[in-house]
Amino acid sequence: MRAFAYTRPTSIAEAVALLDRHGPEARLLAGGTDLIIRLRDGSLVPEVVIDLKRIAELQPGIREIDRRLVISATTVMTDIAADPRVAMHFRALAEAAAVVGSVQIRNRATLGGNVCNASPAADTAPALLVHEAIAVTAGPAGSRRIPIDELFVRSGVTTLGRGELVTAIELPIPAGRVGSVHLRRTRRRGHDLASVTLACAIDTAGVTRLAYGSVGPRPVVAVDATGLLADRTATPEAKAELLERMFADASPSPRSMRASPEYRLAMLRVLGLRGLDIAIERLAAAEGGR
Amino acid sequence: MSVVSLAGRVGDSPRRVGGPDRVTGLQRYVADLHLPDELHAKLVTLPVARARIVAIDVSAAERVPGVRVVVTAADLPQPMPRFGPQFRDRPVIAIGETKYHGDPVAAVAADTKDAAEAAAALVRVDYEELPAVVSLEAALDPAAPLVQDPALRPNDRLAATNVLREHRVGWGDVDAAVADLVVEHRYTFPIVTHFAIEPHAFMAAPDGDGIAIWSSIQHPNWLQKVLADLLGLPLSKVRVHAPDPGGGFGGKQHTKYEPLVAFMALRTGRPVRLVLSLEETFQAVRRAGAGVNVRTGFRADGTLVFQDIAADYLIGAYADIADRVVGKGSYPGCGPYRVPAGRILARSVLSHTVPSTAFRGFGNPQVNWAVESNLDAGARALGIDRLEIRLRNLARKGEAFIPFDTPCDGHWDQSVRRAAELIDWGSPLPAGHGRGIAVGIKSGPTTGLSYATVRLLVDGSVIVFAGTSDMGQGARTVFAQIAAQELGAPLEAVTVVMGDTAIVPYDQQTSASRSTVLMGNAVLAACREIQAKLRGMAARLHAVDEAAISVDRGVVRLPDRELTVLEVLVPGLGRLGGELIGNGEMRKDAEPDHPLGGSAAFFEFNCTAVEASVDEATGDVTITRYVTVSDVGKAINPLQVRMQDEGAAIQGLGHSLMEHYIFDDGGRIRNLGAIDYRIPTSLDLPLEIISEHVENEDGPGPYGSKGMSEGALLCVASAVGAAVRDATGVAIRDLPLTPERVWRALQERP
Amino acid sequence: MNGMIPIQVIVNGRARTIEVAAHHTLLEVLRDDLQLTGTKECCLVGECGACTVRLDGRIVDSCLVLAVEADGGEVTTVEGLAPDGGLTRLQGSFLDEGGVQCGFCIPGQVMAADDLLRRVPSPSVAEIQDGLAGNLCRCGCYGQITAAVLAAAKADQR
Repeated sequence: MRAFAYTRPTSIAEAVALLDRHGPEARLLAGGTDLIIRLRDGSLVPEVVIDLKRIAELQPGIREIDRRLVISATTVMTDIAADPRVAMHFRALAEAAAVVGSVQIRNRATLGGNVCNASPAADTAPALLVHEAIAVTAGPAGSRRIPIDELFVRSGVTTLGRGELVTAIELPIPAGRVGSVHLRRTRRRGHDLASVTLACAIDTAGVTRLAYGSVGPRPVVAVDATGLLADRTATPEAKAELLERMFADASPSPRSMRASPEYRLAMLRVLGLRGLDIAIERLAAAEGGR
Repeated sequence: MSVVSLAGRVGDSPRRVGGPDRVTGLQRYVADLHLPDELHAKLVTLPVARARIVAIDVSAAERVPGVRVVVTAADLPQPMPRFGPQFRDRPVIAIGETKYHGDPVAAVAADTKDAAEAAAALVRVDYEELPAVVSLEAALDPAAPLVQDPALRPNDRLAATNVLREHRVGWGDVDAAVADLVVEHRYTFPIVTHFAIEPHAFMAAPDGDGIAIWSSIQHPNWLQKVLADLLGLPLSKVRVHAPDPGGGFGGKQHTKYEPLVAFMALRTGRPVRLVLSLEETFQAVRRAGAGVNVRTGFRADGTLVFQDIAADYLIGAYADIADRVVGKGSYPGCGPYRVPAGRILARSVLSHTVPSTAFRGFGNPQVNWAVESNLDAGARALGIDRLEIRLRNLARKGEAFIPFDTPCDGHWDQSVRRAAELIDWGSPLPAGHGRGIAVGIKSGPTTGLSYATVRLLVDGSVIVFAGTSDMGQGARTVFAQIAAQELGAPLEAVTVVMGDTAIVPYDQQTSASRSTVLMGNAVLAACREIQAKLRGMAARLHAVDEAAISVDRGVVRLPDRELTVLEVLVPGLGRLGGELIGNGEMRKDAEPDHPLGGSAAFFEFNCTAVEASVDEATGDVTITRYVTVSDVGKAINPLQVRMQDEGAAIQGLGHSLMEHYIFDDGGRIRNLGAIDYRIPTSLDLPLEIISEHVENEDGPGPYGSKGMSEGALLCVASAVGAAVRDATGVAIRDLPLTPERVWRALQERP
Repeated sequence: MNGMIPIQVIVNGRARTIEVAAHHTLLEVLRDDLQLTGTKECCLVGECGACTVRLDGRIVDSCLVLAVEADGGEVTTVEGLAPDGGLTRLQGSFLDEGGVQCGFCIPGQVMAADDLLRRVPSPSVAEIQDGLAGNLCRCGCYGQITAAVLAAAKADQR
């Protein structure tokens, strides 16, 4: 691994100043589970690594504020997967966090890191999209609140400006019940990078949010407000055409060695139908349990 | 009379000898050892497979503080020293041209790892990428570039092709055989890698007027010969330390970078260590992929009439032991069956890929996959049960099923019947589920030479010197159990010394599941020599005719009484004490006229049965039950037998379901390393694994044991593939059976 | 800017002040600087688990943690599990159930299993397989390792 300077800011302002000063020569270190791999393989050669874990304002944690769940960017997957509030309101996210790597990885990998790497295969991304998450940022020009859908550009690229970092992810707690699920395709049952990810959330109004990743340069969300997808009496055939339209933005790379485009697209359809079934069932169970 | 502990004797499963150090982290593997003043080496490789090396500029690398030497081909003796277990074709470092992705063109040694790594990145190589052949089809194209310079193989009619060698074996007249049904298909087997969790590690240090080497190597004595030869040293001046390898699986049999680090150590006068990354091990060892054409002739009742097998193995750019793998692995290709006419043509096909080497199963799984799958195809076409067709054709004990080899040496049907019983063969299954059953056979060692020395010390404790490498198979424990059994020592009082050519007597190699049989017999013979001395002592002490005395399980039987070993040893050795030393030798000589240079010391036989379900929407294969039954003669340590069989099964599930190298057009390996080369985790296991073994004490090893360790891997793919076929109605003839591959096959299902 | 950074870290119960390079991982510092070679190096991408250690109460792949990140923290390696040079019950179970072949992955397996039993004292087979999925064993001892964890859990319940 090439040598670099290591800094450990103690405030967000200091981190922002460092990041602003060094620009692309700086990399943020949260969990490190992606960064250190890339530092070692030489695909990233920063001059400065800025460790965010000693910033008091950024201490990991999940708080409920004004019907929003606020997850600090440095919160690790283990804690997200285990949080009862996440499980109750944002089950797709809990499920996504639970399948990020191994126990060892989940103990380090942070939600902020997973989001800011902007990998199309990031497990939490589809879940955050269907749960309508907002990225809270800090930057030289102050704080912004960016709907998560507006954050992702393509692998490794976000709409964050120079000197800007994500401090938290906010999830609006839905007023009514929601049935949600996260599904993925991998090459083995053990932990793996996903070749298709999909999250589905259905609310009591019959609105279905489907988000999918690993089938294009960035994760995509699509919404069905007609109620057709949420209709448990509708046949898969009836839903197929609408699903196709919702998956229209899927454009898997033919260059990937993890799965072919045809297989990814076929699996997206399979996961879509399976996801709808599970979300419908969960919504019904939640309503029944009321 | 003292009480003799029976725990740890033959047939028991005591705790592994050396086990405590393995669970506490105290076990020292090569990378855990450090020498004073050592240098750290780093290899320099190119991001291409085949390239002409135009120039190498090491000046920037040499200027890195702490760098002591940068070695390229120009810095080595001329002509370039070459080595290899079969052909001396492999240069110590690439010269003129790189032959595969990962072929090192230079190496740096520096005071620190950081300096070595920084300097390696600064070695500037001017190169011209050349077209590479990375598939059987490309390599066999008459217009293909030659992988090896024909001058390396003078007087070889194949030297101007990429076929290194052809191996032909046969009996009967295949062309004249009359069959009611002929089934012919082509099957392929992927390139996979050993992925021992311990990456290969090497150290070399000047040692007086010789050299000392540390290597995680399975064959320390072979390495000693290679180095003595390359360095012009007597064997006695090359000391190989071989700490227990952290997994070998065949990948650590033969010399790799030991000559390079030896030259660097001699050049600098300092110890040099090279610890490979996992990615570098992928570029050092792998299994040969294969394309196998099988034509099988059947009578209407399922009786086999002939087998006609043409197997091409894609070996690498240098032969390593790959050609032996091809010859020996394809040889029992007709399986453990009575086949009136058999013809096997196997070719070692050179390519611009990592040199393939021995890997558990040694070339057999590739052909087994083809032949066992083809047998199923025949059974289905004839409407005969797949278990029944196997039992009908299976060789019976004593039958010369390969006419010029060791006859069938086991009641193999017992393993098959037991496996069938454990998988509930024939009982109804839910839709989407299927069963498969397959058998595997492998020829054991064809030659062998093992020496052991056993010392019975005055307090009754024992030291066994045995040159086997304990890479996890548990040889240390087995030898200790034999010595404990024969000399009446508690297992805790037996020490087994391995892995140092200056101390431990010669052993040919640790391969072919030989060690229990060959070294085990040598240890047994050494113990028996000590027993003979004990008999002499007892005769002298008690004035009894020696012929009337026997020693058994630590008991010395005189006509009128029984004594413990100690009761004879202590007075027998007398006031000065001392010890009894026994030497044992086990030799299996070559048979020059035999196609393999020798008949099988034993056969490994296994039957594997699988029940699986297939998710037709995704192609996911779930193995709901997995049964493996091996004929082991005698399980000296039943738990270790089970561990080896289950471990072989899980390793086999890797190449059956998920493992394969992926190359780009230029021959670069795209999935180098653990992220994109998937092996089974604890979540990828069959829902149920049952492993059993058959013991008839009919093997040539101690107490009737046979070699085992590879048997349970031979037919994994065949059994899994058969279950998938049974579940879906689709026969897939290419491995691995990834979800995508299964899904595609289902899409194309008529 | 590439100077050494002093850190304070408790390793296996012993407080240490050491100087580390910013770009050295916890794995490198444990193995190379502290000679704690029980922690093994294999994949270096957080896939194999051979380098598993406990850091501030949680297991991590030490190849993916910079040593400097452990500043002020507490690290337990396989060498620190058994207090007096003996074996923990779990380590004994690994030997009794046949969980060890070549042994190279075992320090990581033991650390992960120890962590699992701290979190889930009576794990199910599924919980064991999930808890240890980050530790590859190429010898294929998964079944025996699972049995070892079950046996250790059972013994601890007594």
